Amino acid sequence: MQTNELLNSYDVGAQTWDEMYAHQAVRTQYQGVVDFLQQMSIEELNKKEELAKRLFMSQGITFTVYSSGEGIEKIFPFDIIPRIITATEWNYIEAGIRQRLKALNLFLKDVYNNQFILKDGIVPVEMVYSCPHFLREMHGFPIPYDIYVHIAGIDLIRDQDGTFYILEDNLRTPSGVSYMLENREITKRIFPDLIPKNNVRTVTEYPNILHRNLVSLSPRQTANPTIVLLTPGIYNSAYFEHTTLARLMGVELVEGRDLVVDNHRVYMKTTAGLQQVDVIYRRVDDGFLDPLVFQPDSMLGVSGIMSAYRKGNVAIDNAVGNGVADDKAIYAFVPAMIRYYLNEEPILKNVPTYQLGNPEEREYVFANMNRMVVKKTNESGGYGMLMGHSAEEEEIMRYKTEILKDPRQYIAQPTINLSSAPCYMNGRLKPRRVDLRPYALCGPDGIQIVPGGLTRVALREGSLVVNSSQGGGSKDTWVLAG
Amino acid sequence: MLSRVADSLYWMSRYMERTDGILRMLKINYASSQDDIQEFSWKPVLRIFSYLEEEQATSIAHQTRTVLQYMVTSKENTNSVLNIVTRARENARSVQDHITKELWQCLNDFYHTIRDEQLVRGLQKDDPVSILDILIRQGLLYYGITDITMARGEGYAFINIGKFLERGVQSADILDIKFSDLQYDLTHTDTTYWKYLLLSISGYELYLKTYRSGFDARNVVEQIVLNEDFPRSVIYSINQLQRYFERLKSDRNKDAYHKIDFMIGRIRSRVKYSTVETILRQGLHSYLNGVKEELYEVGNALNQHYFAYT
Repeated sequence: MQTNELLNSYDVGAQTWDEMYAHQAVRTQYQGVVDFLQQMSIEELNKKEELAKRLFMSQGITFTVYSSGEGIEKIFPFDIIPRIITATEWNYIEAGIRQRLKALNLFLKDVYNNQFILKDGIVPVEMVYSCPHFLREMHGFPIPYDIYVHIAGIDLIRDQDGTFYILEDNLRTPSGVSYMLENREITKRIFPDLIPKNNVRTVTEYPNILHRNLVSLSPRQTANPTIVLLTPGIYNSAYFEHTTLARLMGVELVEGRDLVVDNHRVYMKTTAGLQQVDVIYRRVDDGFLDPLVFQPDSMLGVSGIMSAYRKGNVAIDNAVGNGVADDKAIYAFVPAMIRYYLNEEPILKNVPTYQLGNPEEREYVFANMNRMVVKKTNESGGYGMLMGHSAEEEEIMRYKTEILKDPRQYIAQPTINLSSAPCYMNGRLKPRRVDLRPYALCGPDGIQIVPGGLTRVALREGSLVVNSSQGGGSKDTWVLAG
Repeated sequence: MLSRVADSLYWMSRYMERTDGILRMLKINYASSQDDIQEFSWKPVLRIFSYLEEEQATSIAHQTRTVLQYMVTSKENTNSVLNIVTRARENARSVQDHITKELWQCLNDFYHTIRDEQLVRGLQKDDPVSILDILIRQGLLYYGITDITMARGEGYAFINIGKFLERGVQSADILDIKFSDLQYDLTHTDTTYWKYLLLSISGYELYLKTYRSGFDARNVVEQIVLNEDFPRSVIYSINQLQRYFERLKSDRNKDAYHKIDFMIGRIRSRVKYSTVETILRQGLHSYLNGVKEELYEVGNALNQHYFAYT
């Protein structure tokens, strides 16, 4: 038995919630996996890890890093030990996300139409109008079924007592769902029979639900609407995801140059002439979508697409202008939105957030910088972020100067001691910090959340940053069925 | 089908066909170089498959390893197997939703195989035939997977159009350059010369079965240009090109279809109703060049009418 060997260096940090370990014992939901791992030798486990890498490589689940004119294929680091979520935890998360999305959708409709929430002073007007993602072009814009957020990837974290918090609402073009799907496929290959034995809920429905929702958005009443996935192209780091989703849904993968607008209708250029497009699942950011309306030098978009959208001749998914609702400063008002629109108490909590535009809050933050995480409101992917507890004095000073130049563009949150989960590292299990991004799909029939998600993990010891651009990896994420 | 997708499938296929041609040519020529290095020169191969200047080709014409490296793993040579496979894969990558997962993985594997450092070293130090065989087999996998897994739709038609257009041009090219090497002297009777030429395009056994009287340059021309049963002959390639192009016939895009259909029909008649005598009367070089030019024109017309998207 190598029980001890595998587990003996598993030191959960003080004041940390561990997903596997509690009071020196393995939590019940992890018992099956731990038993299974204990039957294996370290050589076998190393082989599994090797196999996982090879599978990612040969299936082309890679992103390309370009250096000195040559592309180098990299795989997104994958940890072979699954992250496990119990049925109770999942029910709670699901209810919380459902509630939050409902409110966010209502907010988007409101803010682009009557603006009741601004008139009632729940969200400050200047907060909305100073957000660069608030698009005046969207004002009074008719949106099919009033659904703005079709796909959301809401980030959750857990504090030291295990409480779930919402960290970010990603409502624009959330990515990573292909890793939810592919990581599961890899687990099936490297650990035969483990998934059925543990009663894990399946995630494979995701593309089917998404496809059904896309079909239902078609403005033309036709049995077979033309649905396309609009990608920025093969040099985009998420290109693999775009191809996977297009393949799994059986829809056309297009680039901006494949599309053309004529008389407020969008067409794709085919070998048999032009073919009208009904629904666009776009993975191109708002700013690049239409050079006639937004950034005029965009090569990724389609000239005139916004006019077709406004006329209702094409559906775009997610809606344009959603950035105003997932702005990091607006984030602080989401609990208020839930109370305002739904007359309910928020199920999932927000991380306390300080608005640096507000002088008192700013002063407080400046006095406590080493306990704070400072974020730029419009950046994502772990860029434009200061981790106060590990930053050098110099860096803190630089941030302070930057903040004073334009305080609205920054928020601060107290450092949350993210929960940890076991990772396989050189023959041992080691705790590493994780977050969770479940994917929610909204269609005319309501909100559906596939039981699973992307668990991102900070592979560096002690690190609290899980973003892939900052040395993060991912795990297969299991939701157990009762 | 999107024009861009059709374009990518067509080029993916052309590049893979070229890869196969290069690898077979290298393998057989390597064997030939081991037979008689005094007589043997890599120059025809370099002329067929690379853009090297005359002097550069001459300077390495007798350095087998240098040529192999240049043709297989060189980054500088735009027509090296490495670069062609990379381009085939790039094309495949951008149309992954139109090819099967198996096909994509096969090309992806090929790409990783040819970038393998051990393989690069093997080509320099070990038995090159083993290395070339690994690569040829990867190409055969591509053909097999295409055949077994791809749906018989428009995409499959474009794949085959690319494949046979490339093959037709290649066969005409090989024949032309091999003969120019002899200053189009049809009385040349060096058996090994013809044997290796036929071997390099897998036509040796068929030749032996068809012609009992030993090697005659006229028969070589006949087999490579006119034999409808020989899968690498010019006429076979054109027949297949026509066959797959006809599948694109539809009510839309009629004008373009008729135009290209006419072009393919014309070139097919021209080859089909040639004999060795009429070819030689016109002059082998001028005849083969004419065929090549017309095939290129078909490619340009496809580009203009089916692939234009920018």
